[in-house]
Amino acid sequence: MDLPPLSDEQLALVVASAQSPANLYSTLSDYETEACLLSTKDGKQAELLSLYYSTFFFSHLLTDQIREARLSTKRMPQNLLQSDPSLQNCLNLLRAVWQRKYEQVYTILRELPWPEPLKPIVQSYDAHFQEKTLKELSRAYEAIRPAAAATYLGLDPASAQEGDPATMQKFIACGWTWDEKTGLLHPKPIIEDSQNDAQLYNELSEVMALVGNRRT
Amino acid sequence: MAEILLHLTSVSSQLHTLNNTSDERYDSEIRDLVAYIKQFNKNLDSQDLLDNLSPSQHTLSYLFILNLHIETLQNKTKNIVPDEIKPGNDLWAKAVYFLRSFDPIQVRYAGHEWRQLIELIGQAAEAVSKPFLAVQVIREALLRLDSSGVLTSVHITFLRLSLLSRSYSHALPILEKQIFRFPTSSGQAYSKHIDRPLCSEFTLGDTFISDASGFSAKLTYRDHTRYFLYGAMIYMALKNWNKALHWLSIVISSPVNDSVSKIMVEAYKKWVLASLLGHGKLVAPPKIISSHVLKVYQTLSKPYASLADAFERRDFQRLRAEIDVGQSVWRADNNEGLVSQLFRAYNTFLVLKLGRTFSALTTTDVAQRMFTPLASSANVEEFVASLVMSESLGATLLHLHGHGSATMLRFSAPTKFVFNRENFMRKRLIEEGRALGFITNDVDQCNSELKLGNENLQLLSRNQRWPDTSGNGGGDIVQADGGLDIDEDIMGDAT
Repeated sequence: MDLPPLSDEQLALVVASAQSPANLYSTLSDYETEACLLSTKDGKQAELLSLYYSTFFFSHLLTDQIREARLSTKRMPQNLLQSDPSLQNCLNLLRAVWQRKYEQVYTILRELPWPEPLKPIVQSYDAHFQEKTLKELSRAYEAIRPAAAATYLGLDPASAQEGDPATMQKFIACGWTWDEKTGLLHPKPIIEDSQNDAQLYNELSEVMALVGNRRT
Repeated sequence: MAEILLHLTSVSSQLHTLNNTSDERYDSEIRDLVAYIKQFNKNLDSQDLLDNLSPSQHTLSYLFILNLHIETLQNKTKNIVPDEIKPGNDLWAKAVYFLRSFDPIQVRYAGHEWRQLIELIGQAAEAVSKPFLAVQVIREALLRLDSSGVLTSVHITFLRLSLLSRSYSHALPILEKQIFRFPTSSGQAYSKHIDRPLCSEFTLGDTFISDASGFSAKLTYRDHTRYFLYGAMIYMALKNWNKALHWLSIVISSPVNDSVSKIMVEAYKKWVLASLLGHGKLVAPPKIISSHVLKVYQTLSKPYASLADAFERRDFQRLRAEIDVGQSVWRADNNEGLVSQLFRAYNTFLVLKLGRTFSALTTTDVAQRMFTPLASSANVEEFVASLVMSESLGATLLHLHGHGSATMLRFSAPTKFVFNRENFMRKRLIEEGRALGFITNDVDQCNSELKLGNENLQLLSRNQRWPDTSGNGGGDIVQADGGLDIDEDIMGDAT
């Protein structure tokens, strides 16, 4: 199917109409070839490319494809990557996510200047990263100091350590328990959707059926 | 011109479907068309013809005319890759459109021209330093053709371009299709018994991709090892170490005559690194490799052996020294990236090993046992937390009350371990199941080609038995019938 030509408006439409991050990633992947044909020497095209590659980069992060995000930065025009502030922010963000430097991730997302059209997707990723980290923390820690948990989740560590009710309420809302005597939070593991599990069982049944058929 | 166009559009995939033409007739029509196009005057207006042909309906005509057009341009500009075929230009768009929409049945009659166009697309994309553009197109063209497990030179070109453009995951749909055949040699005896026309939907890649069809350039021993080495490199870039090791094992266990090839030695060096990165130890090479070949590998890759030894003995100081001393070797072998990942892998496997000895440890204890630059308690906690959170390590962390900033690392309860293992086994079973399904289909097809199917065997058996039973004199027909029945039952049991 032929895609409408890549433009600022089309990009905005794709982002706004994507039903899921996976959907957004898939559509933007289809545009990579067209982006490859644009020139970084033309000012207008370079602006479009910066916006496209930044959005594409975030679509990788939103679908947890960190390695692919890294590879996409290797495929984009290197002169643009080196000179464009938005792509430089992406590169710094990638480094922080790759190295699991949680404080840096939130600082880059919240404090660095992002172009206006990119702000909604940056905020989406902030929420996604926080949610993903929350799930990982819930699984990884049996007990955690509030300040450490706050750092992981981009909250204020000082107020969390002091037992600030608003901050503590956020943890409790996730099903965590707060032991005032020990000053520790006890995370509750978040159970993932078992849809994939069911799919695995179905596929396994297919294998068994195949083996069964060959025996008769 | 109208007459030529009429002739060129006479063979159409749509018409074939609508009219339900027999395969034999369609085959003859296509062959006539090919003969007609081949005697074309090269000076005709190919541009006009291209505008009036549909790549999906008139695949053969379009491909021949497009190639004719390109050839004319090449002769005119005295350039193998004229500007018009470079990405962004008109001919590039036409070629890409064709390769994304050609009819895979008609194209079987023009393997040489199909490959010629693909190779040109690859060269054109490389000429403007944008190999990624060709990767997308060639991948779609290969999937569209469906080579049914036959290795072609286009596969090798495709993997090379994927590596060049760092579009590793884009290569996966091709890599995940099992390759287990070379293009059929026209001299193979059994092929003479296959009387299906090329255009039959039952004719598969192993038949229409032959050494004479042109779908592949002549493949050499080197091409075969190159394909598997490139594939392994892609899996290594995606950190799929098990797949990488499997592909490398094919290269290092390739048959040798007198001496091993350079590609095989390169593959062995990568094998050592992939083993350490994926398993934390040197995985035993396939037993199929003869001892003298293994000795040659070991002699030619001594720095790698020392590196592996230091890694396996958990001697961090020596590992660091080996890595520093061998910098020029890693660089020359293009293995710097893999070697640089060894430090993290070293620490990861060290923590995993602790889990086999202890059920719980404080991060200070872990730091004391690591002897690496990470060895401050805070850094160790950060590192271990990253392993636990990414599920590389089955453990939980516990901040302790009243012990300053102490953290306990508790290795996973057996139930969780069993669950993970079960999950892993299930995934493996499904993967193997898919491979089995693929092989089964192929066995069925071979049986059918070689007339070894159940029906054929039963018929053969019946034909062979008939003279014997009739030879009894034919007086006792009931007995003879009964005997035949029993024989059939026996055959039924055996199949």
